Amino acid sequence: MGKFVDRPKYICAMGGAVATLNALPGVVPILHAAAGCGFNISNAINGGGGYVGSGYCGGQSLPSSNVFEREIVFGGEGRLKQQILSTMEIVEADIYFVITGCMVEMIGDDAESVVKSLDKGKRLFAADTGGFRGNSYKGYDIVLSKLFTEYVEANHKKDERLVNLWGVVPVQDVYWKGNLRVLKRLVEGLGYKVNTFFGEDETLENLKNSSKAVLNIVVSDTYGVDAAKTFKEVHGTDYITVDFPIGDHGTTRFIEKVGTALGVSGELINELIEKERRRYYGYLERVVDAYSDFDLQRYAVVVGDVNYTQGITRFLADDLGWLPELVVINDLIKEEQKEIVARKFTDYESGIKPELVFDTDASGVLKHINRHWEENRGSRYYNSMTPAFVIGSSIEKETAQKINAQHLSVMYPVSNRVVLDSICRI
Amino acid sequence: MENRVYNYLNEKAPPVREDRLKACSAFGGSCCVLSEGIRKGCLNGTRRQFSQTQGCTLVLSLAILNTVRNAVIVVHGPIGCGGGNIFFAGISKAFKQLRDPKADGLIWINTNLDEADSISGGETKLKDAILFAEKEFRPEAIIVVNSCVPAIIGDDVESVVRDLQKSVAAKIVTVHCEGFRSKIMATAYDSVYHGILRNLVVGNEKPQKDYIDDEERYRAELAKSKTVNLLNVSSMSYGDELELKRILEALGLKVRILPCYSTPKDFEEVHEAALNVSICSTHDDYFVGHLKEHYNIPYVLETIPIGIENTNKWVLDIAGHFGIREQAERLVERETKELNKALEPYKKAFAGKSVFLAGGEIRVLATAQLLQDLGLEVLGMKGYHFDEFGEKLISTVKNNDNLVFNIATGQPFEQSNLLNKLKPDVYVGHVGGNVWAAKQGFPIFPIFSQAVNYMGYSGAFEVARRLNRILKNNSFNKNISRYTRLPYYNSWYEEDPFKYIENHGG
Repeated sequence: MGKFVDRPKYICAMGGAVATLNALPGVVPILHAAAGCGFNISNAINGGGGYVGSGYCGGQSLPSSNVFEREIVFGGEGRLKQQILSTMEIVEADIYFVITGCMVEMIGDDAESVVKSLDKGKRLFAADTGGFRGNSYKGYDIVLSKLFTEYVEANHKKDERLVNLWGVVPVQDVYWKGNLRVLKRLVEGLGYKVNTFFGEDETLENLKNSSKAVLNIVVSDTYGVDAAKTFKEVHGTDYITVDFPIGDHGTTRFIEKVGTALGVSGELINELIEKERRRYYGYLERVVDAYSDFDLQRYAVVVGDVNYTQGITRFLADDLGWLPELVVINDLIKEEQKEIVARKFTDYESGIKPELVFDTDASGVLKHINRHWEENRGSRYYNSMTPAFVIGSSIEKETAQKINAQHLSVMYPVSNRVVLDSICRI
Repeated sequence: MENRVYNYLNEKAPPVREDRLKACSAFGGSCCVLSEGIRKGCLNGTRRQFSQTQGCTLVLSLAILNTVRNAVIVVHGPIGCGGGNIFFAGISKAFKQLRDPKADGLIWINTNLDEADSISGGETKLKDAILFAEKEFRPEAIIVVNSCVPAIIGDDVESVVRDLQKSVAAKIVTVHCEGFRSKIMATAYDSVYHGILRNLVVGNEKPQKDYIDDEERYRAELAKSKTVNLLNVSSMSYGDELELKRILEALGLKVRILPCYSTPKDFEEVHEAALNVSICSTHDDYFVGHLKEHYNIPYVLETIPIGIENTNKWVLDIAGHFGIREQAERLVERETKELNKALEPYKKAFAGKSVFLAGGEIRVLATAQLLQDLGLEVLGMKGYHFDEFGEKLISTVKNNDNLVFNIATGQPFEQSNLLNKLKPDVYVGHVGGNVWAAKQGFPIFPIFSQAVNYMGYSGAFEVARRLNRILKNNSFNKNISRYTRLPYYNSWYEEDPFKYIENHGG
């Protein structure tokens, strides 16, 4: 039983499912839903996802049964069947994936059985993704779980040098494509081939044959974990969860954890870490002049999702020598999980201890800042929280202006720049 | 239209346009078949066997409501409903600040109905959200936008709001725009105006001032007798407003602009006007009809001030209501002469070019006429929906008998097929749907938008100037068309573009 949300930074399960399916090569979603669902979702995806655009068959091209009053009264399964068949006639795809909206679930339409009755084998799937089931992240898990269960071929002989990696959620992580490229390269550095399903140059074959992998690496404690459990149940493959890495400290932990889980020698792990560090500091060296001449150390407020806030805060505290004071996590997460998340903000090498708050409301951020840092009560000598940076989404722009801080949007929604192949950049 | 009655304000929601205007949302064929079909009412209720997603009444309602200043929106529904606002958040703030530099950005709250609520009801969450909005933001109005799910589970939004209003300072406005109720996205305009009329206008009139003497009363009445409400739309620009205001002020009129970018309090004065002036009948008939019913204010509804002829007609219609037609004729003559002179060089550049237009049917028809005046050949048009208001404008487009007209809210698959056959030199389309024609390699001219001047005399010149610029270099779309493709099998382009419309009569 949740509560209302002031300016949510995610959409519904169906929205997450659309974003996920659009990001997979050769897959076209078929929405069984009221007419506006796909349109609204597409606006949210495009407008918040760094202008990711409509892609191959997204935006206003999304096939959708568009149920109206007639179907709500008499049932929509007939209409769905007609829509699936006509979609397969006109729209070219390797896989068609039916996802359901709230309305058709409430009237009891059974998309799964409609799909079964059409007997299209591994070309047609269905999952219930009604918006009231959860937010975008939930939709990502539902879609992956379904594909792992029904599309991924079972009983493959294992390839000892192959792993799968996910947990970076398309669109919710605006930089997902660039991030997957970099994470893949890191794991390749340990001597493994990597399927990420959504990455550059990958096809559905990577997904189809993914049960050959010896390990599933979920780059999140929260997103994609349900799918990893499903994968394990169906194909017996173990998984590890590892924090989404940003910067030297985060990436070092990532390489160590993944390398150790794969049984890579300490020597190779350290070699890779050293190599990555040389490359990284080779770039970071460029800003030393500016950093030192202009005193670029900043107080920071970090606002956003579980994956990014921990990665960015560690980067700011331990790599950059900044002072992250406050972290606000906007996700809808369960009480028991908050504890696991909270631990990630307590072990910084720099000894910095930011305050961590869970609050789903955008208006909460300013209130937490004012509570966290004592306001000036007319004193001539006041130690203000300046200079400061608010790092979050485009929604935090106003908050930053109100405390005279600079603002950077790196988490969904990012509406003030176009994101192409870049990775998360500070 | 003279027979239409506007007496719906006792209902919590307006009727859908399928019923009220017998509107059509699926058609493909010639203008003349369309015209006849609309007159006979036989295009009402056409359906598609293959369909693509389209905007719903909730999405379009938000497009207007998001512009209202000093208001907080509460979207009552599951967490995704209204999520498209993410797209508009930044845009909306910038445009609000053109009207008031201190205006806040868009604030919306979603009531986050979950699976349990879908069984037990969401009224408590709605109450909590309204109280939060009141306490946190102290807005002038809290606008509750109702989605499909609470409508199906039977949340009694009206009585929740009635109870809460006693303890909430903000005016609570309810807008019933459940997406599943209407295929005609424009039903949203009625839903929004219905909520505004019921909650901000009727019964909320600013009290009449006590005049100290007859002179003061006379002055006030004189001012009212020269005041017009100019009804703007959320997709027009501030530049458009300035141009239309300039024209009306040149006639000695006082202009009040509503409903977009106004504040809730502005509606308390809406009855203090001598004339309501619409720029789009699809947008405003419900509002001006009810204002006539309640306050006996006449209106100008059936012309859109796009292009020379339509702008002239619009000006003269308005002037007719104030008995200043001669003055207006002089203005029109002066403006037209100067504009035509400025347009001459462009007409030469456009000679022999062909165009396909898509967007709201009223603006598409008006723009088609403008482009014909500029020397382009119109090959076909597409409108979101169609009803008697569009039908009246068809005859203003020259050589219209066999022009192809596609009625579709979205549904780019039909258009892609059609464009592949028609191969126009330029595509004019509505924001949000231009990507598909761009991927086919056509130069794109976005039909009127929030950023550019499109209306009035200056707008006609801007259209010519921009179109000329866009036609100078189409390399980007050409490259894109070479290396990306639309999602349809090649065989689709061999088919009748309207194959999937049942009983379309074309």
